[in-house]
Amino acid sequence: MNTVIEVSNLVKQYDKSKEPAVRGISFEVGEGEFFAFLGPNGAGKTTSISILTTTLSKTSGDVRIAGYDVDREARQVREHIGIIFQQPSLDRSLTAEENIRFHACLYGMYNYHPTFRGMPAEYRNRVTELAEVVGITDALFRPIKKLSGGMQRKLEIIRSLMHTPKILFLDEPTQGLDAVSRRSLWEYIDNVRHELGTTVFLTTHYIDEAEKVDRVCIVNHGEIAMCGTPDEIKRSCSKENPSLEDAYVEFVLKTGGMAS
Amino acid sequence: MTINSEQLTINSYGGLDDGRAVARRKSRFLREINAVISVLARDIMVGLKSPGLIISSLAMPILMMGLLGGSLSQNMSAGIAFDYGKFILVGQLINMLFMTTVMGLTSLVDDHETDFMQEMMVAPVSRYAIVVGKIFGSSFGAVISMIGTLIVGLFMGYTLSVTQWLLIFALSPLICLSAGAMAMLIFGVIKNNKISNMAAMLITMPQMFLSGAIIPINNSSGILLVLNRIMPMTYCLDLVRSVVYRGTAEYDAIVLFNPAVTCAAIVGLTVVFLSVGTWLFARSEKNR
Repeated sequence: MNTVIEVSNLVKQYDKSKEPAVRGISFEVGEGEFFAFLGPNGAGKTTSISILTTTLSKTSGDVRIAGYDVDREARQVREHIGIIFQQPSLDRSLTAEENIRFHACLYGMYNYHPTFRGMPAEYRNRVTELAEVVGITDALFRPIKKLSGGMQRKLEIIRSLMHTPKILFLDEPTQGLDAVSRRSLWEYIDNVRHELGTTVFLTTHYIDEAEKVDRVCIVNHGEIAMCGTPDEIKRSCSKENPSLEDAYVEFVLKTGGMAS
Repeated sequence: MTINSEQLTINSYGGLDDGRAVARRKSRFLREINAVISVLARDIMVGLKSPGLIISSLAMPILMMGLLGGSLSQNMSAGIAFDYGKFILVGQLINMLFMTTVMGLTSLVDDHETDFMQEMMVAPVSRYAIVVGKIFGSSFGAVISMIGTLIVGLFMGYTLSVTQWLLIFALSPLICLSAGAMAMLIFGVIKNNKISNMAAMLITMPQMFLSGAIIPINNSSGILLVLNRIMPMTYCLDLVRSVVYRGTAEYDAIVLFNPAVTCAAIVGLTVVFLSVGTWLFARSEKNR
């Protein structure tokens, strides 16, 4: 398996902070792997994902994404990644389709046209079909502000996959979603991952969502405290037949972190 | 919800590969141009959906040209050896382009506050493409204000020839770029909406008074002279006035510099401000 994410001794200290948010973490993620970062609030998950996606500078260490250095080859890194941010990053004044069109044109996939009809047939067909797949056809031409949180998240997923990223970063993608929306979103991501072989890097507050990942790293106080398959993590728990959540909560309480 | 493999191949994989192939076929330069167009088109689209922006862009000329310009014209023109009405019409046209572009560029801070900036910052395009796109997108309101100023001027009896209008329109993208580049020095580092609105006033008001938009600056000296010489609006105004007053007896009394010097100053200041402003912007987004 080729390595698509290589992180070595990554350190991040924010400008006005006395303590580093990330303290020399190292890990690798293989191509097609489903990888999760778990940890309490303030553990350094979002900081790490921000550095990996080139939106935040690091203090020291080496990070290579899809073989490219995040500092020296940021543009190439950006071409190979898709990201769903913790906070929705849609333009609420535009419609769902206008948000997708903006993304596709910004990534150089199509020349910009001010109307949907003026865009190439390939684009129109794809957007229509993808909207059908995720069930937002009726909402495609409605302003974002009139869409539910679940629909907005689905739209962000469509958008993040438009340019065929090798690696999809999901920073707490189901935060604020109801159970039905969460389930349908995960079904869609699972299908995309299995059919396309996309590497998925997940951070989440819902530990049950990490049950099906290939590997989990538990981050605490900016350090990787434990790494392994969900079964390996569960074996560290003193409970009988523990869930991943049981193992996680026990670990966090034992190490003095605040469970999220 | 399920996806069959055929659907996925068509929808996500085949199509996406096609999309990436399209992106790769284009030269990097064309991709940057497409990114600039996408960013500016989005701002224009948002502008068209905001009646408030259009109304305020049209109201500004009534205030700046109709009330301020009208009052100055009635009370100051007596002691001036040239047609003050025409002087202030040109001054307010450029002032409107500057002021509305700078105010429109506060949307850069809005995008940061609403997290939409993240979507642009992870795109594989240069930061210059984002900034230039935002500046030209902001000039949408500026062009509305310029047209409003021409209409208000018409009601006040101050007119320009069609050729002069067209030349000013042709120069307006350069003027807006110059205004936006200078504003980027400040907006590049501001992350708060309230501060950006105040900063927009701090950038535009001194220029309106010091660069010769409403008051002739032929006799400026000392610190005021230094300030008006480093303000891009001084040169933009002078370039437009050199076009409007070309071949007239008033040319020497109104135009300060040789147009070649003016062009060089505009280009030089714009390049420097845009480079530094974009660097500050990219740095402040990434370095925290």
